[in-house]
Amino acid sequence: MTTQPLQPVGIPSRDGLDLIIDARDVVKTYRTDDVTVNALQGVTLSVARSEMVAIMGPSGCGKTTLLNCLSGLDTIDGGQILINGADINELSDNRRTEFRARHMGFVFQFYNLLPVLSAVENVELPLLVSGVKAAEAREKAAAALELVHLREWAKHKPSQLSGGQRQRVTIARSLVNEPAIVWGDEPTGDLDTQNAGEIMDLIIDLNERKRQTFVIVTHAPEVAARCHRIVYMKDGQIVREEILQRAAR
Amino acid sequence: MNDLFGLSMNYIMGGLLVVLAIAAAAVGWVLLRNRVMFFIGVRNIPRRKAQTVLVIIGLMLSTTIISAAFSIGDTVNYSITNQAYDRLHSIDEVVQAQTGQNDSAFDSGASITSPVPIPEGQAKQYVDAFQQIPGVDGAVSVIRGPVPVSNERAGQTEPLVLLVGVPTDQTRGFQSDFEDLQGNLVSVADLGQDEIYANKSAADKLDVKQGDTLRLFVAGQGSNFTVKDILQDRVLTGTVFGEAKGLLLGLPRAQEVFQRPEQVDLIAVSNDGGVHNDLGKSKAIEKALNEKLQGTKWRAKASKLEAVNAASDASSQLTAFFVVLGLFSIAAGMLLIFLIFVMLAAERKVEMGMVRAVGTKRRHLIQMFMSEGMAYNVMAAAVGCALGIAISLVMVRVMAALFSAFDLSIVFHVTARSLIVSYSLGVVLTFVTVTFSSWRISSLNIVAAIRDISESVTKRAGLWSLTFGGLGVAFGLLLLVTGWQAALQFPFTSGFTLAMLGLALIARFAGVRPRAVFTTTGLVLLLFWLLGAGNNLPFIKKMDGGMEMFFLSGIAMVASCTWVLVYNADLMLAGLTLTGGRFSRLLPSIRTAVAYPLANKFRTGMTIAMISLVVFALVMMSTMQTNFSRIFLSDDALGGYQVRVTENPSNHITDLRAALTAAGFNGPGGGTSGIDRVDDVDVASQRVVQVRMAPAPGEKGDDFTGYPTYGATDSFIANNGVKFQARAEGLATDADVWRKMASDPNTAVIDAFSIPGGGFNIGGPGFSLKGIKQTDRTFQPLKIEVRDAASGKTREVQIVGIISFKASAMYFGLYLAPGVFSDVFPKPDSTLHFVRLNSGVSSTEMAKGIEKALLAQGVQADSLRKLIDDNQALNQGFLYLIQGFMGLGLFVGIAAVGVIAFRTVVERRQQIGMLRALGYTRRAVALSFVMESSFITLLGVVSGVALGLLLARQLITSEDFSMVGIEGFYIPWLQVLGIGAFAFLASLLMTIVPSRQASSIPIAQALRYE
Repeated sequence: MTTQPLQPVGIPSRDGLDLIIDARDVVKTYRTDDVTVNALQGVTLSVARSEMVAIMGPSGCGKTTLLNCLSGLDTIDGGQILINGADINELSDNRRTEFRARHMGFVFQFYNLLPVLSAVENVELPLLVSGVKAAEAREKAAAALELVHLREWAKHKPSQLSGGQRQRVTIARSLVNEPAIVWGDEPTGDLDTQNAGEIMDLIIDLNERKRQTFVIVTHAPEVAARCHRIVYMKDGQIVREEILQRAAR
Repeated sequence: MNDLFGLSMNYIMGGLLVVLAIAAAAVGWVLLRNRVMFFIGVRNIPRRKAQTVLVIIGLMLSTTIISAAFSIGDTVNYSITNQAYDRLHSIDEVVQAQTGQNDSAFDSGASITSPVPIPEGQAKQYVDAFQQIPGVDGAVSVIRGPVPVSNERAGQTEPLVLLVGVPTDQTRGFQSDFEDLQGNLVSVADLGQDEIYANKSAADKLDVKQGDTLRLFVAGQGSNFTVKDILQDRVLTGTVFGEAKGLLLGLPRAQEVFQRPEQVDLIAVSNDGGVHNDLGKSKAIEKALNEKLQGTKWRAKASKLEAVNAASDASSQLTAFFVVLGLFSIAAGMLLIFLIFVMLAAERKVEMGMVRAVGTKRRHLIQMFMSEGMAYNVMAAAVGCALGIAISLVMVRVMAALFSAFDLSIVFHVTARSLIVSYSLGVVLTFVTVTFSSWRISSLNIVAAIRDISESVTKRAGLWSLTFGGLGVAFGLLLLVTGWQAALQFPFTSGFTLAMLGLALIARFAGVRPRAVFTTTGLVLLLFWLLGAGNNLPFIKKMDGGMEMFFLSGIAMVASCTWVLVYNADLMLAGLTLTGGRFSRLLPSIRTAVAYPLANKFRTGMTIAMISLVVFALVMMSTMQTNFSRIFLSDDALGGYQVRVTENPSNHITDLRAALTAAGFNGPGGGTSGIDRVDDVDVASQRVVQVRMAPAPGEKGDDFTGYPTYGATDSFIANNGVKFQARAEGLATDADVWRKMASDPNTAVIDAFSIPGGGFNIGGPGFSLKGIKQTDRTFQPLKIEVRDAASGKTREVQIVGIISFKASAMYFGLYLAPGVFSDVFPKPDSTLHFVRLNSGVSSTEMAKGIEKALLAQGVQADSLRKLIDDNQALNQGFLYLIQGFMGLGLFVGIAAVGVIAFRTVVERRQQIGMLRALGYTRRAVALSFVMESSFITLLGVVSGVALGLLLARQLITSEDFSMVGIEGFYIPWLQVLGIGAFAFLASLLMTIVPSRQASSIPIAQALRYE
């Protein structure tokens, strides 16, 4: 199913929205022996439940760093990040890991599928690490693959799938544990135009049906244009936002 | 040690240095002609220190093993030579009665009594004549004989001490032989009538101090002497190999004690140049001495030269033994080198793709890796040599304890030549492996390399597969036919294996899937090798094989088993998945732990092979040795007796029981009541006994050689319990054989070791029976000739029984019927008294009691069971030494596990990041890596143990081995499980660091990694 690109309609107030992500004054600094890099300089960002947000900006502006910090993949040096009301930086590494397993999904540019496992085995990984029984996990994984129209490819290894199919498997994996948030880092970066379009159709379809929140880092304007909101970054700061349609309820 | 496997060490060293120079020149050429490639190759060495250390550890292991083997050889050579020089000291040649023996037995404990003494007057004439020969420093007549001795003050007694008598006025050239413990020279002329010198060994054993009174017993007569001084252990102070305790008197006084006036036993000759003179002149002097002795019964031998040569031979054999044992480990080491370079190449795949893309040729990549490899190589070989020496130092300490039982003092020593050979061999082997792996690595797909993706796998193998397959089949069939015709296992089995490999390659070319090809080939080869062990292949005739088969079978079986495992382990994965379903949290770790190794068959297979090879060798050796040892643990080995009493040749005992009663013996049970019966066996002097197979009429016949020969008395024949493994036709039972001996004086029986392949030939060629095999159970009586070399008397006898293997250790020798023994050897050297005890009497206590009671007669009494147990303990000690040496190879496999683990952490960095993002805890990531290494190690250990046990079982239960009396198959579980557990746990330890590294990678960093 395809939808028309959304038109910007101005920036409404965030008050009254059910915020799933609430980040305030986030600071992240990288230090090496010689160099200090202020990757994030007091970023404040909130995302409503079921919203699709695109983060754009030039290379090195801190997009991926912001995504990593918001998702708990990396720690912060200042500020606060609340995910579903929980301050993830107060959690221990194991608790944070557990939190990710239960509440988050990830879609990376280079798929990051385990090459030695089949599609269904890759998809069921998040369920197994969360303690779901093997049989149940297999069932859910199969259902997730069905969702992305890849059921008949369940037993194939990633090397036997096309780029688009691999990304679908990644999306299925990101959704199988029914996460509240799905993080995407250049999800269409390695795909051709047609595949990229199909993947975005899928994401939007899932967003509308499953009401999952998507935060997508992207260079591609056509990808960003299909989100509810675009956040622009430069030099570690959010410089402007653009709402393309009313935020999802 | 002057040669190895028949090749001169100097030639080996020269050859290796030439090859080393070629290798260095090859790399030097790269440096000169293509500096860029050279420096690209070596630049990583200082940059990646941890990796450099790991590579050096991996490369040095082969050199370590080689260096340790050579160090041990040098140590044994030095120790035996040193001891020979030390003990022989000034003696270069010895003149004794001619017996035609091949060995210079004058300085061995087995022949300290002379069969043909030299009249003193005649000896003096020879001494004067010898001293005129240019190059001769001095000559001296010597009398000697074993005597029992007691030291009343200390309460110590010894049944056998060698008393030596030398002239008081004729010791020119030998003064330095009589040296006290402070380094002062003493003279025999200084001894008073009742004074005596004791050597250090005698002083230690008898707790002698200066001034102590020693009582010597000869022919029942006791004589007291005061110890004037303690001297160094020398032949002239009574030390011989095997019995170091000695005493020294002046010649006249010693003749008086022995009651042999005007007799001497040998003439010792010293050459110019001191103790460490030029041994090259010895042969010429030996010839000159023999010219003076022409027409007499006495002959001169260059004893020191022979002793030094014997030392060299012994050390060569020992080095060869350890090198062969180490072959498994060396082979595993070479596999590791190959694996390391493949890993290095995998790490630099993108870089290599880039340099190829910009114009670098394949040969440049080879040059690059060769340069890097050589740089690691020269460092690793140096480290390996040093470590090999350190390891041999430890082994030498163990050997010193073991060899002390053989009166051999082991002192560590290593020669520059051995170091050069070890270093060069290590470098050359590594260089060859590195060059081969460089060639293999260089053929990469440029695009796949740059994109860091797998190269596409073609369903069919290339033309090379057909070519090499065809060659393999052709050459294999040639070897097979050659082996069949010659009935030799090595070419037959290797030919079959090669032909099968060739067929496999051809099948791959034809498009048959790898799993089918390699599984079938592997299973067929496994079956072939298992059935072939012990000559159990149906429709295939029996063939001969030696120790090389151990190595070849190990390589072939491990390779075959590894193929089967690697190509079918996914079936295991399915099974594990079913089990892992119960533990769903562990299931991802289990799945990846099995799936990743299976995805990389090459590195997984190599690691499994490395571990399996060494575990196989250790388990095989352990199991074989244990099963052989058990032969001698049964009561059959005792032959129906519990104690053996060896009398002193100077003090003959006619009736042991009467002698004990007369001595007031009060043994277990009171008096001699513990003794059931005593049966005697006469002993012929080993100096004069000669035997050979009786020649057919008109034929010249073989040379006579020595062999322990005994005269079985009527009582021994009637009452012993010695069993036979083969009997002459017409003799249905063991009793029939003994009855034949009793009734026919021209009969004899002999031990099983006299049949070729039945025992170990220690000390050079001995007598071997012809016309009978170990597997024969009946035979036509075998005719042999027995001769007294002193008198020339010869008799032909028929062998009617072969003593069982089990009993042959205790009853080693030729046993003649009473009539023929007394005819050929009218005066036996001594008598052995075999004692059967009543039930419940301790053989150890009885033996001690007999020895104490008959001290004056100088008897030695041994519990046969204790002798067997002591022998087993010694064998076990040697086994542990050998296992420790072979176990070095386990470190190769362990290193391989570590190398792969470190590499996989790098390769899967991004995947680790993803797993952590999805919800894998640090612990789960670490566990995944540990489980992966455990899986590979477990496959290696289990396959090694299984193959080792299977092959051992096939051999032990085969006809070839059952004939030696092995009953059933015994698995030394403790040892086997110990070997497996050590290999497994050590490999796990190697995984700890990389698994922790993997779990500690920051997630964001890992996800960005490319």
